[in-house]
Amino acid sequence: MRDLFYDLVRRNGMAVSIYLMLAVSIWVFLLIILPQLTMLDYSFRFNLPPAKIGGPEDVYTLEQYRYFFQGSGASDGINTLDIGILFKTLFAAVFVTVFDLIICYPVAFVLAKSSAGAKARLLVLALIVPYWINEILRAFAFRILFGATGVINETGMGLGLWDTPIDFIREDVALYAGLAYAYILLMIFPLYNAIESLDRNQIEAARDMGANWWQVHAKVVIPYAKPGIASGMTMVFMLTSGALAAPQILGGPSNLWFTQLVYQWFNSGGNWPRGSAYAMVLLIVCIALVLLVMRLFKVSIGEIKQ
Amino acid sequence: MKMKSPTAMIPGLYLTLFFAYLFGPLIIMVITAFNSSSFPRVSPWECFTTDWFGKLAADDKLLAGLGNSLLIGVGVVCVAIPIGLAAAITLSQVGPKLRAALYTIFIAPILVPGVVIGLSTLIFWDRIGTLFNAPYESFFYDGTFLTIFGQVTFIAAYSMLVFLSRIQRFDTTLTEAALDMGATPTQAFIKVLLPFMAPAIGSATVLAFLASLENYNTTVFTIVSSSTFTTVLSSKVRYGLDPSISAVAVIIIAITLIGAIIYECRNRYNTKGWAHVVADRPVLKVATHPGTVAVILGLLALAAVVFIQNHDSSACTAQILEDKRALQQKLMEEQSLNTPQQTVPAPTMPNLGPLGGDEGGASAPSPFGNSIFSPENLGTSAPDGQ
Repeated sequence: MRDLFYDLVRRNGMAVSIYLMLAVSIWVFLLIILPQLTMLDYSFRFNLPPAKIGGPEDVYTLEQYRYFFQGSGASDGINTLDIGILFKTLFAAVFVTVFDLIICYPVAFVLAKSSAGAKARLLVLALIVPYWINEILRAFAFRILFGATGVINETGMGLGLWDTPIDFIREDVALYAGLAYAYILLMIFPLYNAIESLDRNQIEAARDMGANWWQVHAKVVIPYAKPGIASGMTMVFMLTSGALAAPQILGGPSNLWFTQLVYQWFNSGGNWPRGSAYAMVLLIVCIALVLLVMRLFKVSIGEIKQ
Repeated sequence: MKMKSPTAMIPGLYLTLFFAYLFGPLIIMVITAFNSSSFPRVSPWECFTTDWFGKLAADDKLLAGLGNSLLIGVGVVCVAIPIGLAAAITLSQVGPKLRAALYTIFIAPILVPGVVIGLSTLIFWDRIGTLFNAPYESFFYDGTFLTIFGQVTFIAAYSMLVFLSRIQRFDTTLTEAALDMGATPTQAFIKVLLPFMAPAIGSATVLAFLASLENYNTTVFTIVSSSTFTTVLSSKVRYGLDPSISAVAVIIIAITLIGAIIYECRNRYNTKGWAHVVADRPVLKVATHPGTVAVILGLLALAAVVFIQNHDSSACTAQILEDKRALQQKLMEEQSLNTPQQTVPAPTMPNLGPLGGDEGGASAPSPFGNSIFSPENLGTSAPDGQ
């Protein structure tokens, strides 16, 4: 630590070094690590009124986690509702991620390999513009689109595809479409950056040696773009499973997203320790899943960037 | 292209479909902002109206939230940019091992769900506040401060990424040259490195401000009893769909488009090829200057605002309402004919015939008329409920 500081001072001078160290320390400790540790600590406590905090009853407990696994009933019960919501959230997030990958890969490839100059810049700009629109408004747009009198239902019924309005909201179709839409950009850009740096000659060479288009992608482009694919998938998965706005707006009345449980425990439930425990469960499960997948595909976290 | 001739159109077709998915929902949302129907929809089209914008301008909650959002955005920029810059410079100067470790910590806030960041920030400062026995009005419990802290946690990481990609292209021999010529390290930092980073500081500022404005997941926890633009918008959406939300979208999309067009014009204007084209054409040079474009777009926006303020659709909406009432009367009439024993006198009925074309009225289902006037069965020609 001291060597590091001396090194910084030698390079930047005293004043700048103090600024660097101070800014980084404030960020890392005050904003990242300590709040997370406090939340972890909180998740192991009982939900006590403010007066009793720090008193004799304020002891560590696994109660909040037990509740997640077993619910409020007898000790041998299983909290199928909350665990089910967690699994549903994870499955849906994986589905959305894979869907985004499938629709974005061709776009990224075409953009990276067959557009150049002004046209490519314009297309990239066109990709970014929808992302500047507020997340709430994007969800609202899907609400209009998929509503009982929305454009999709009107068109479908107008063409005679179905007779009565389909409740896309209840079926969660609107939610998945909205979530996939919300994070498309975070999938395209890592893919685009990865594929763009691939030397065109490699594709040509593969084709000259008799590879068809499918083999070119499977054997040349995809292995090369693996870090980009991994970071895109990680981003989309983490953001989808942690999404709150879209499920609140587009989710069916009986289908909850896991983040909504956290929100409920915090707000209407008034139980911060339990909310913390649920948030920890979400965080740990998501990170474990991401690390597992990265392990399988042999990508390191250092390769992730936006 | 990688495809052979019959399939050569596939990439273009695919891109078209993709951009339709990207822009379709936004376009439809924009259209609904101008339909007078009280539920946001495209069909049936009732009247072209700009009333929803007026309703928006009268929405005090939303305006107050917008004020808070701008304040928080400025606060976030002021804190997140110095932090992100420091983090990027530190990363560029430490050894590879520490670099990898630090990078993992720095990048983590982007991957951690915003919900988790929001509530950990809330709990942490609540604890600190309790520790110091701070009064409830102190900043430990203040939504604006908490939101700035919470948002900076991950927005600093965004700006760090912007700075990193710039600093990777920095030629360290420049600093060495400055040091050789007698500059102190601090001077070298301020006179060499900072000017080099200036464009990145600009784009990181814009990015940080926009990210702050549109953040919801973290803010909804840290804002406590206050509100931001996004949280007000979210509660509006959840408590009832209303075309004035589409009107918000129209405004935001317009601003975004104007920004994007000016940005693209500036890029194009600064390219070498364009400089050659306009070298001996002063008129074209002035006309394509991004400043000119900005002025033109500004005037167009102003014209749109004036139009929105002055456009009056009350005649048309009154007509629609009249149509609906006529339809309602007609249905009641049919009902009373079907059930002769229940004789309900309807004195105003004959007058309504010429006012509203019955065919036109019948094709437009009325969302509220149904529930107000008729309980369940109106007859065979009754429009379906929503």
